[in-house]
Amino acid sequence: MLLELKNIRKHFGGVAALRDGNLCVEPGQVHLLLGENGAGKSTLMKIVAGMIDPDGGKIIWRGQKVQFRKPAEAAANGIAMVHQESLLAPHLSVAENVFLGRELCNPFGWVRRRRMQQETARLIEEHRFPLRAEWRVENLSPAGKQMVEICRAICHGSSLLIFDEPTSSLSEAETHEVFRIVRGLRERKMGVIYITHRLEELRAVGDRVTILRDGETVHSGALEELPTERIIQLMVGREVTAIYRREPLPPGDVLLQVENINRAPLLHDISLKLRAGEIVGLAGLVGAGRTEFCHTVFGLDPMDSGRILVAGREVQIRSPRDAVRAGIALIPEDRQKTGLATLLPTGYNLTMANLKSVSRFGFLSGAKERRVARTYMDRLRIKADSPKQLAGRLSGGNQQKVAIAKWVARGARVLLFDEPTRGIDVGAKVEVFQVMDELARAGAAILMVSSELPELLQVADRILVMRQGRITGELPGRTTQEEIMSLAALEHSSGRTEENSR
Amino acid sequence: MIQRLLPFVTLALLFIGLSIASPHFLTNTNLSSVIRQTAVINIMALGMTLIIVAGGIDLSVGAILAFGGLTGTMAMAAGQPIVAGVAIGIIAGMFWGCLNGLLTTRLRINPFIVTLGTLGIIRGITLIISNGLPVHNVPQAFSYLGEGLLLGVPFVLWILLACALAVHITLEHTRLGRYTFAIGSNPDAAYYSGIPVSFHTTAVYAIGGMLTGLAGMIEASRLMTGQPTAGQGYELQAIAAVVIGGGSLRGGEGSVIGTLIGAFIMGLLSNGSDLLGISPYVQQAIIGAVIILAVSVDELRKRKMTA
Repeated sequence: MLLELKNIRKHFGGVAALRDGNLCVEPGQVHLLLGENGAGKSTLMKIVAGMIDPDGGKIIWRGQKVQFRKPAEAAANGIAMVHQESLLAPHLSVAENVFLGRELCNPFGWVRRRRMQQETARLIEEHRFPLRAEWRVENLSPAGKQMVEICRAICHGSSLLIFDEPTSSLSEAETHEVFRIVRGLRERKMGVIYITHRLEELRAVGDRVTILRDGETVHSGALEELPTERIIQLMVGREVTAIYRREPLPPGDVLLQVENINRAPLLHDISLKLRAGEIVGLAGLVGAGRTEFCHTVFGLDPMDSGRILVAGREVQIRSPRDAVRAGIALIPEDRQKTGLATLLPTGYNLTMANLKSVSRFGFLSGAKERRVARTYMDRLRIKADSPKQLAGRLSGGNQQKVAIAKWVARGARVLLFDEPTRGIDVGAKVEVFQVMDELARAGAAILMVSSELPELLQVADRILVMRQGRITGELPGRTTQEEIMSLAALEHSSGRTEENSR
Repeated sequence: MIQRLLPFVTLALLFIGLSIASPHFLTNTNLSSVIRQTAVINIMALGMTLIIVAGGIDLSVGAILAFGGLTGTMAMAAGQPIVAGVAIGIIAGMFWGCLNGLLTTRLRINPFIVTLGTLGIIRGITLIISNGLPVHNVPQAFSYLGEGLLLGVPFVLWILLACALAVHITLEHTRLGRYTFAIGSNPDAAYYSGIPVSFHTTAVYAIGGMLTGLAGMIEASRLMTGQPTAGQGYELQAIAAVVIGGGSLRGGEGSVIGTLIGAFIMGLLSNGSDLLGISPYVQQAIIGAVIILAVSVDELRKRKMTA
């Protein structure tokens, strides 16, 4: 046994990321680690790689109990991780990156560039990497960068390689290249842990599979014995906890109509309608183009072709400003980066999108501004000491409410929510849902992008599913996670859906 | 709170200390001269405050000051009335500020680099049109701007107060000011909120240029010449005044009161050193140390706040 993880636990603040993580990897084996977003896969792997300390449990490496306190320790023991986002020095060459941190030097401290290049070239040839030792890393594709990381791991004599969703940003050809190399590693008797979201690629590389759900290992075994349907069930199989259930109301007029939006290579021929009073879910895997769709409608990214109509009238949207004028709002995925000015007072943030209504001839009216701030703090039940409190000091849920409130104050009628519950705790989630429901009842049309399927099922009246830049289907609000997953993840989606609904 | 008041307390202590240490400090002539010396930097620093709050920086203000002063005095030398000359200096400043703003927002080049470039361009053009020679032929009455008295106080103090009030109101009580804070604090969030970021950023640079043009006319009036080499190194003094007064080069922070205090602290330090016979070499070192001290104290305060 190469690596054994037993009962690993980890809490972040009050949230349990891992309750009971178990995993065994043998040399010469590709071990798939599966689970929904937030199931704890990345946390578990970061613990193995020494990036996070576990709260409890045992890590047994080559038969000995270990605890790596930093990534360098794990690396020295032969564990390497290939990250989703590359951790390379972009301005250095492939060879320099492969030897980064352990440069070959002569006794005077001179770096032996030639030796390093030759050494790297040898490795590249041996494994048939599509690389050259002298290339600069910044010019490489994401796949190329991953190859460099793999090369580095092999060069350092690693015996366990962890891939965290290596193919999520790769083309099909590049994906096959990664598979070929992973199989090569297996032949060399290295251990591989492979995290993926793409169910269709499981069989191409995997030997054994471990499935995590809500921080617990729910299944571990050989891949052959497990049909894909069963894997989906195991991944999402928990009862949908009925903390919140929205009662849909009869939808009103069409507020947002999107016709045949294209944006190469991310979005293909997307059409949808949002009606007043409706909350429509938009599901899909990471990289399916959901965020890109929101950005395009909101004017952040240009579209190649297509039409956008708001309340029946065609609008030209070239910037967020145009979108805001048309009554469209985006509550972005990353609150801290794009949703709020965290270093400014809450009150400033509440009126940021709507300063004209609290000013005359360019001069702000302090009294009016305070009144608006108070009104929306009350209406959305934002808990802050005063409008003067810095937005960044509020809790995650309250920050999200501020990011919503600024659009309500502006009177936006089409609201695009991108992952509205990201990084906020369970109680606050329900409050955000209630706010969304109230907005819909007040006549807004809402699109909710979420990777949390249970939440979509709780909140959305109907659910659109995207896969690789296309809308692959529409499901009623009371559908199942399995149906969504099969539309979102599987190549021949239509056939699967029929099977499941039977 | 105490740390927030620190710049003010420093200024007060410096003032009291100098009053005790030197009998010449608390005299009408000396205080007037401190005000006249600081006014030029102070007015530039007011514009710089807006720019820094918006998350930008302008290294070209020293050159803009020279260009404004030169074109204004050239107009007067060519027979234009004084008011028109001053207006020309201000408009010239605004033009360059506008250009800086347009270059940073349209080409999306870092303002440090844009204004480093325009610093050279503007200085070069100033030297070319003047042939490197100062303009001496200005009307006698022009000296009132920099050296005159109104109600027993230097006329420049009134100008400074008027500018300070105007910039303070702009920053704290207008939409432009609020957008300035929003853009400086988080340009993405501002853009996502539908704020016309490029327009307001450019406006901020233009106002900065206007104030610099005015400062250039005051400088010219004090020297009674239009000097193409005027204002060298002033940009760093203006930036120093803003950061001593609590402005952050990361943007989103800064105030008119703070900048005024910052500029006066620097003015008193140099005046005090003169009075106490400290060599100008040592003065430079002292001011440099004060900049680092002031900013590190401010950083400590902020870190405590976020912890």
